[in-house]
Amino acid sequence: MTARSHTIPPLCLFGLALVLSACGPAVNRYALIDERLRAGDAVRADAIVEEAQEEYGSKSQVLYRMDRGMTLHLAGRYEQSTAVLDKADQEVEQLYTRHLTTRAKAFLYNDTELPFEGAPYEQVMLNVIKALNYAIAGNLQDALVEARRVDHRLNVLADQSGDRPDAYRDDGLARYLSGILFEAAGELNDAFIAYRKAHEAYLAAHSWSRTPVPPMLRADLLRITDALHLVDEHAQYRQAFADAPWQRAEDLRQLAQVVVVSYHGRAPRKEDQFLDLPISLNALRLVLLTKSAVGPNSTAREARAAESVLYGLSGRVVRVALPRLIQRKTAVAYEEVTLAGDGATYSTQSELVQDLGALASKDFSDRFNNLAVKAVARAAIKYAAAEGLARGARVAAGRDAGPLVGLLIGALAKTLAISTEEADKRSWRTLPDEIQIARLWAPPGSYELRIRPVGKGGGQGGHQTAHPVTLRSGQTMFVTELAPQ
Amino acid sequence: MGQDCAGLDSPTTISATLRTATALALLTVLAGCGAETKVTRVDAGVVTDLSGRWNDTDSRQTAETMVKEALGTPWLDNFSRKHGGKQPVVVVGTIVNKSHEHINVQTFVTDLQRELVNSQKVTFVAGRGEREEIRQEREEQAVHAREDTQKAPGKELGADYMMKGYISTILDEADGVKAVYYQVDLELVDLESNVKAWFGQKKIKKVVERKRTVF
Repeated sequence: MTARSHTIPPLCLFGLALVLSACGPAVNRYALIDERLRAGDAVRADAIVEEAQEEYGSKSQVLYRMDRGMTLHLAGRYEQSTAVLDKADQEVEQLYTRHLTTRAKAFLYNDTELPFEGAPYEQVMLNVIKALNYAIAGNLQDALVEARRVDHRLNVLADQSGDRPDAYRDDGLARYLSGILFEAAGELNDAFIAYRKAHEAYLAAHSWSRTPVPPMLRADLLRITDALHLVDEHAQYRQAFADAPWQRAEDLRQLAQVVVVSYHGRAPRKEDQFLDLPISLNALRLVLLTKSAVGPNSTAREARAAESVLYGLSGRVVRVALPRLIQRKTAVAYEEVTLAGDGATYSTQSELVQDLGALASKDFSDRFNNLAVKAVARAAIKYAAAEGLARGARVAAGRDAGPLVGLLIGALAKTLAISTEEADKRSWRTLPDEIQIARLWAPPGSYELRIRPVGKGGGQGGHQTAHPVTLRSGQTMFVTELAPQ
Repeated sequence: MGQDCAGLDSPTTISATLRTATALALLTVLAGCGAETKVTRVDAGVVTDLSGRWNDTDSRQTAETMVKEALGTPWLDNFSRKHGGKQPVVVVGTIVNKSHEHINVQTFVTDLQRELVNSQKVTFVAGRGEREEIRQEREEQAVHAREDTQKAPGKELGADYMMKGYISTILDEADGVKAVYYQVDLELVDLESNVKAWFGQKKIKKVVERKRTVF
């Protein structure tokens, strides 16, 4: 009988495993998108995302819209970006209701069967990018709508987080941007609340966010409390930020402001991490042999298919798939922002306001325990189901054909169980690694706005860009910059 | 195999097979009947609350109620009495959206304008944006139109009152239940004295419930 079992065509199993392992979302498109974004070619990156909409699949349309909304934003197509991100926002809202059948399917197959709704910080970024889209287009009223929406989202998030002090329950960037927008619209009281919340959010998250309180926020708090005649609060901030330089709102009233929002690097990505657990000595040898042949961390589809077939035939290997977060840190330290006009030059440096790599890392570590428990349970259930199927088939096929049929069905079921094991690697990857903001006040007039990235070693961090700008008194102009690397 | 085929020929098996096939065909047909998109034409006045967000019904009902309220208060009679029966001239200014939603304020402004014009109790003049277009048209007429059909500048009717306002929201949400409270504040400001002649408020409260899990 053992001899006959060798007649099972391994090629067919290999083909099956290859097909099944190809069922997950293709991620090669990201290599192309990253390449274009690194080169500063957001228009082409956007075209790649658009062409890949079908590839994302029905379960990842929110992810498609997030990726697309960001590439459109970087490409300067703000209205379209807002429309796409609005749709993503609405879909995220609809995904509040969870379908038990989908959850059960995902539990038995893998987590890529779940509709992607984004991590809480990614949902917050939907509002942040939309607010920037409106602000750049000069539509402050709608930018403020996004500021109010993000406030509501963060309030709900804080309620859900309960008493966990280290949870992601507020967002420094979202609050800080809201403050800038409210101040630009002349709503100083709302601006004060937003700045104060930003300050509190940066302090609360200092243990994991890798983002200290931006020095400019100290100046903002001093300026706004002074402008609102909040004597006690102003005195407290003066005491806390004794060395912070700041200007009174009256001194800035006749000036124009340029807010440069720059994006550095790429957000982290996730990849599969397979734990192949042998449950016999022979299986252990097989796993060691396979790993030495294909490498311990091989995630190539062909290698996964070959492993699935071998482990399926062995029948004594259980595979658990878990995601692993890969950081992609930026090489840019900050940007020098200069407004050069007739006879006068005004300069400042950008400051870190959001480390999305740290946020992704926090979200990943918060979720990891649940993911691991679920993945182990799923692998055990799949293995038990495959064993049960093989035994059932052996009994049903009768005494003569039973052993062969049982072996065949068992091998097929286990190959299927192993090849369908895949971690959910989806995340909003067109976001940057870091976001920095520079605020610069200058008298009204025509200038050349120069933005020069400085590397972490102090040298050139990328190409300098220059844009002509004309500033009106009291105006706040928003500009975004994708730092090419 | 031959036995299997013979078995299929028995009347009971044929009947069972036919029943199954018919049921499957019926299911297929029924499944095909459910079109993906269904359009139903309804009266524009029908209330259609789909998402809980600000919609056409809110805009229309708020405009109707508030203008009715505005025209039913003493400022109108006071003005007529003071100006020998003359109707006040009203212009709609800025309605600021201070809510959590991207409300099309222009639709609401149009609803307000319609209600004001149709009331026949006030004279309504074009707002700032429209005026620019009309003035440009007059300028072009002065150059291109026949002299006897040209409209002269400087004959615009100055407004007595400006209607301004805010749309604000307060949101509260927990466990899938969201309470949305809209407050629309409108005021009529005397353009000469800055006196607020009328202040109106309309409140709308909606509760949107979403199930956390469904089958």
